Amino acid sequence: MKMQSLRSKIAIGLSVVLSAGLVATGLPSAHADTSGLQPTSAQLSAWKGKEITYYFYNDSQAELDITKAQIADFQKLTGATVKLDVIPYTSLDTQLQARIAAGNAPDVARLNNPGLYQSVSLNLETYMGRKYVDEFLKGSTFQVTDPKTKKLIGVPYDLSMNGPIINVDQFKKAGVAVPTSWNWTQLIAAAKKVQAANGTEYAFAMDKSGHRFSTILSQFNSYMVDKNQRNVLPQSKTRAIKTLKLITDLYKADLAPKDLWIGSGTKYASPVAVFVGQQVPVFFSGNFNLATLDSTAKFNFQVVPNPKEINGGGWPGGKFLTAFNSSKTPDLAAYFLHYLADTAQMEQMDKGAFWLPTRKDLVASGIKYPKRAADMDVYLADTGSTPAAAYGIQSVPTLTGLIYNYLRDLMTDVMGGKITAAQAIDKQIAFIDAQLATLKK
Amino acid sequence: MKTKNKVNRRRPSQSWRRRLTPYVFIMPNMAIFITFIIWPALRGIYISFFDSTDGRTFTFVGTANYKAIIGDPTAIEVARATATYVVFYVLIATTLAMFFAIVVNEQKFAKGFFRAVLFLPVMLSPVVVGLIWNDVLDRKVGPLNALLEAVGGGSPGWLIEPKLGMIAVIFVGVWVHLGFYSIILLAGLQGIDRSLLEAASMDGATRGQIIRLIILPLLKPTTLVIIILATIHGFQSFDFIYTLTGGGPFGATTLIVQYIYDHAFQVPIQYGLGSAAGVILFMVIFAFTALNFLLGRKRDAI
Repeated sequence: MKMQSLRSKIAIGLSVVLSAGLVATGLPSAHADTSGLQPTSAQLSAWKGKEITYYFYNDSQAELDITKAQIADFQKLTGATVKLDVIPYTSLDTQLQARIAAGNAPDVARLNNPGLYQSVSLNLETYMGRKYVDEFLKGSTFQVTDPKTKKLIGVPYDLSMNGPIINVDQFKKAGVAVPTSWNWTQLIAAAKKVQAANGTEYAFAMDKSGHRFSTILSQFNSYMVDKNQRNVLPQSKTRAIKTLKLITDLYKADLAPKDLWIGSGTKYASPVAVFVGQQVPVFFSGNFNLATLDSTAKFNFQVVPNPKEINGGGWPGGKFLTAFNSSKTPDLAAYFLHYLADTAQMEQMDKGAFWLPTRKDLVASGIKYPKRAADMDVYLADTGSTPAAAYGIQSVPTLTGLIYNYLRDLMTDVMGGKITAAQAIDKQIAFIDAQLATLKK
Repeated sequence: MKTKNKVNRRRPSQSWRRRLTPYVFIMPNMAIFITFIIWPALRGIYISFFDSTDGRTFTFVGTANYKAIIGDPTAIEVARATATYVVFYVLIATTLAMFFAIVVNEQKFAKGFFRAVLFLPVMLSPVVVGLIWNDVLDRKVGPLNALLEAVGGGSPGWLIEPKLGMIAVIFVGVWVHLGFYSIILLAGLQGIDRSLLEAASMDGATRGQIIRLIILPLLKPTTLVIIILATIHGFQSFDFIYTLTGGGPFGATTLIVQYIYDHAFQVPIQYGLGSAAGVILFMVIFAFTALNFLLGRKRDAI
């Protein structure tokens, strides 16, 4: 009962925070004026025998299994066929952009960077009505709201939250208590102690991602873009340099898997296998890796709160569903998207794959995770304490990926001693300026 | 007279058919070749004069893409890395292929087995090759460094030191193609008349002299083919490098094809610039191949 009550409080808090995030970025929400999508019998008969393609990537096997089951149900419901194209995350945008350029766009896609596809995305309001957007947490719809037309061009499918995951067995062996609150100095000290006690290869590892590093920047109160599409990194330059140095020094000192980061060139890389292999006690990642860890880790692990410096909390992210305007059956594509993001399907996926919901009704009722509920509560709590400024970068949805990736590559150069942390931040400031200038053209 | 007239009427028809027949035979192949190779290549040249970020809208920019590549410091680094890779790859691959071809040719025991082992890497997917060697070359947990550490060789950062990264990709590139080149050279070796070698041996020529003065000169045309193939493979190397190093560390193993890939397919997409880089690659490979071929012919003529 106590836990249930805590979850409800967290859920309400999450809703408030995400709504506040929207206000902070200044993006308007659509006003409700029409009813939601309901397939007519004429539509159902027209859809029978039709085929749509779903371009999908998954972080875990659970996501794929649940998606397949949901597709099977959808096919029974509509008589249509859904062709599932499973794409590796690392080539998601590469392959999709090539397909769109070749005039072979899928009907529906699961994306993490929907801003890239604004011009070819289906206006969902045509099919779902303007009320539909109100079913989702306002903060989660920034990236699927066309900045020019303000129309909904996608659906927030899940909310992700970054944060540390620890190897509990290794912490216990080292006599280090599982942290309930900590800062970065304490995290690094604990990680080093656990590494020494267990003889692991590394003390700390994080996904090779500018998005993940932005979490740490936020904790030191440093941000790159604000709600008004302005470059705010110069205002927190000193703190950004300090934060960058803090993390890259771990790699330079071989306390973190330098080979994985530097040795993968300009590609994304995740040390999930390093953590599963018990080569590192602290893994800075997010809830999207929880299902994989749950099914593969042969040890006790646990999600712990994000370190708190000036700020606490994590960094918002998520995945989105988009339908494309080149679809030969746009109403079917829109309905499929609507189906995947409805309450029942989303709840099923959230429970099975440890996703955080984006639907207001699910946030209000709370998801009863059959496993790892305590871990999910940590993510929910961190979501609640994420500063509104963390949502600022979502005011430039077409540039977020570029800004994160450039930062990631600069981190590589700092780790290799090619440039200093100060030079990296200067370069990042210049890059953001150049990118923001393209919006004005 | 009647007979003569008949013969005169048939001759042009038969001659025309005879001339047409070979073209009919190669037509299906040529149709595929033109559709999937020539036409896209021509389109690539055409697109190189345009700017496009989405592949649907194109803006004519003249030679701006070529100028951008020439003025891009990254492109200069890529050209340097590509040149380094190609020179060492061609030299090492050709030399080792020759060595293994000669050794395998003289193998008396388990001939088939050794040839299969030599050829095995050729059959592996380049993507898999990259992944396998990525594990093998891992500085901390890779078996190669475990072996080196056991004999006091330290733990070199194969995938994090730029020079070692280049050595690693050259090594893996050679490893992948060595069997293919060796088998071609082996076929060339087996085409050499044995009586020449026996005669030289009976005349008192040493093993080294036989190789240097008989085998190598007679294998010159085959070696030229290997050099041309290795040069083309060297310039086109991408897949296994992409999975092995991703072009790192610090861009040290980013070769021209990855430069094209990054610009043409990675966000932010620049199809025109990628195409222009592709045209430059084509011109370079064409020039090197033509040079190799002409030099080879000149030497033969002498």
